Amino acid sequence: MIAFACAVQEPEAYERYAGPGIERAKEPGSALHILAATSSVCRSLNLLLDQAAGADDLEALVLVAENAEIADPGFCAEVRRALADPDVAVVGAIGATGVEGLAWWDGAVNGGRVVHRYEEYGGGDLPAYAWARAGAPPAEVDTVAGFLLVLSPWAARSLRFDEGLSTGEGFDLDLCLRARQAGRKVVTADLAVVHHRSLELVEEKDGWIEAHIQLAEKWDGRLPGAPPRPADWQQRARRAEAERDAAQTEVFSSYSRREAQLTPLERQLSAMTGAPGWRLTAPLRRLNALRRARGGPRPSR
Amino acid sequence: MIAFAASITRPDVYAACAEPGIRLAAEPGATVLGLPAVGSIARSYNALLERAARLDDLEALVLVHQDAEIVSAELCSTIRATLADPDVGLIGCAGAIGVRSIAWWDGSVTLSSFINRYPEHGGGDLHAFSWDWGDAPPYARTGEVETLDGFVLVCSPWVVHNVRFDEELGSFHGYDLDFCLQVREAGRKVVTADFRAIHHRPLEMLPDPEEWIDAHVRVAEKWHGRMPGIGHADGTWRERALRAEAERDAARAAAHSTDLDTEARTAMLEHAIAETRDSISWRITAPLRLFRRVAPAERPRIRAR
Repeated sequence: MIAFACAVQEPEAYERYAGPGIERAKEPGSALHILAATSSVCRSLNLLLDQAAGADDLEALVLVAENAEIADPGFCAEVRRALADPDVAVVGAIGATGVEGLAWWDGAVNGGRVVHRYEEYGGGDLPAYAWARAGAPPAEVDTVAGFLLVLSPWAARSLRFDEGLSTGEGFDLDLCLRARQAGRKVVTADLAVVHHRSLELVEEKDGWIEAHIQLAEKWDGRLPGAPPRPADWQQRARRAEAERDAAQTEVFSSYSRREAQLTPLERQLSAMTGAPGWRLTAPLRRLNALRRARGGPRPSR
Repeated sequence: MIAFAASITRPDVYAACAEPGIRLAAEPGATVLGLPAVGSIARSYNALLERAARLDDLEALVLVHQDAEIVSAELCSTIRATLADPDVGLIGCAGAIGVRSIAWWDGSVTLSSFINRYPEHGGGDLHAFSWDWGDAPPYARTGEVETLDGFVLVCSPWVVHNVRFDEELGSFHGYDLDFCLQVREAGRKVVTADFRAIHHRPLEMLPDPEEWIDAHVRVAEKWHGRMPGIGHADGTWRERALRAEAERDAARAAAHSTDLDTEARTAMLEHAIAETRDSISWRITAPLRLFRRVAPAERPRIRAR
């Protein structure tokens, strides 16, 4: 039996995203565990594990974030395929190798049909983590993204999320590292998922930085993709501060690129909608909008 | 006499950018040293300093990047007014205080009177904040700073005779901060003044990040403890390393987010343009736009019909 679980912080998000996805994916007999989220993501997920892990017939436990929508009716078959290898402990839709720290997406990303659906600017879809995609599933990876985690029965019963991670950021990486430390595999599978989220990769920067430090303290020297670093802390600090300043300068460059790329388009649109002909036909467009709003027939073209 | 000098690796760029600016700003009889580069920028600039130091009547030397175009015709009078203070060693049109590394723009920038004229996306201008004093923020001001942007550097005669660029730092990056620090260590002032320039360069600020990172480390090591702030941060070296690695990854994430934002906004604008173009309103008004495109001289003829 493949069970599904979700810790719900915003019921509306669950109703819109995780809920319909689970309905789409689950099989008759699938257990469904839904809990109100606690103040800690790790504690919430551990509660779900405690509830789900005891089922004798458990084939897999699917932990779904409330903003993740499974888009694949053949989801369970794909999960069984991935877990056919008894060494596999964790399966995800997207993950990475060469992971140096909390920013797992800075590694070589392996993912399949994973869509990043955003609401800004009228909404749209982007292939998730497209800039770092290096391969497609199935593949063994260092970690998978936590918005969809499929745990084997062994993982559901033996592993727990580290509630010592104060912000909860990195709960997925930490769990995957411990699964691998125990000799098990972490893999990606071709699971179609829509991740509903903003365009901002890191939404709460200060907390994320603290989490990065905490995870580095915990796993220092044992992160699989960490490049050789100077043993001397002064040298390492100098290098890191230089890399940080280079990265912050790249942010300036990305702002400049954005301005340069958008300005011609904004000018073009402004010239089109500012043209006398366009202004002259404004009442026509208003009328059409009104017709559409009332559900009336659209004028034939 | 105020002399001008440039180190040239691409004569076409020099001819298109630096040369017109020098022609605009230089006074009759001014010496202009446009020499082919000899290795690193530090080495090339030192060769120019040596040449300039032999000029008897030197009032100042203006070092201009080959891709920098001075647009202030009154530059020489600005230089003379600024050098009336005998303690002034260097003058520029962009600079900052609170500088801790060669990423001087991470400090508190006090003046930034230039345009970045880029070739990408059909070309365009990015105006720095004090290009137009009418739009300048309240913190924009001329005066003493800790470092200058090296794309246009005005050297006093004292600097020309006494200070040299550090040829050990690398091929390019950090030479300007290091030079400003040397001048300040010698007790002279580094100041911004009210002149403007166009920097003709691509949008990418660090096309060669590894070289830049090496220069960052070298400058920090050289000046740490010698000049307040440079290479400084709170905490033990271990704490600094782990925090900087976290901040580095957060900055990389921010750059990715900006690129995603750009992609999303581009899609929205392209969709809006396509929707406008496909609309009935746009299509039925096509004759009107065609009429407007006709050259003004021809319009009366059309109207006469």
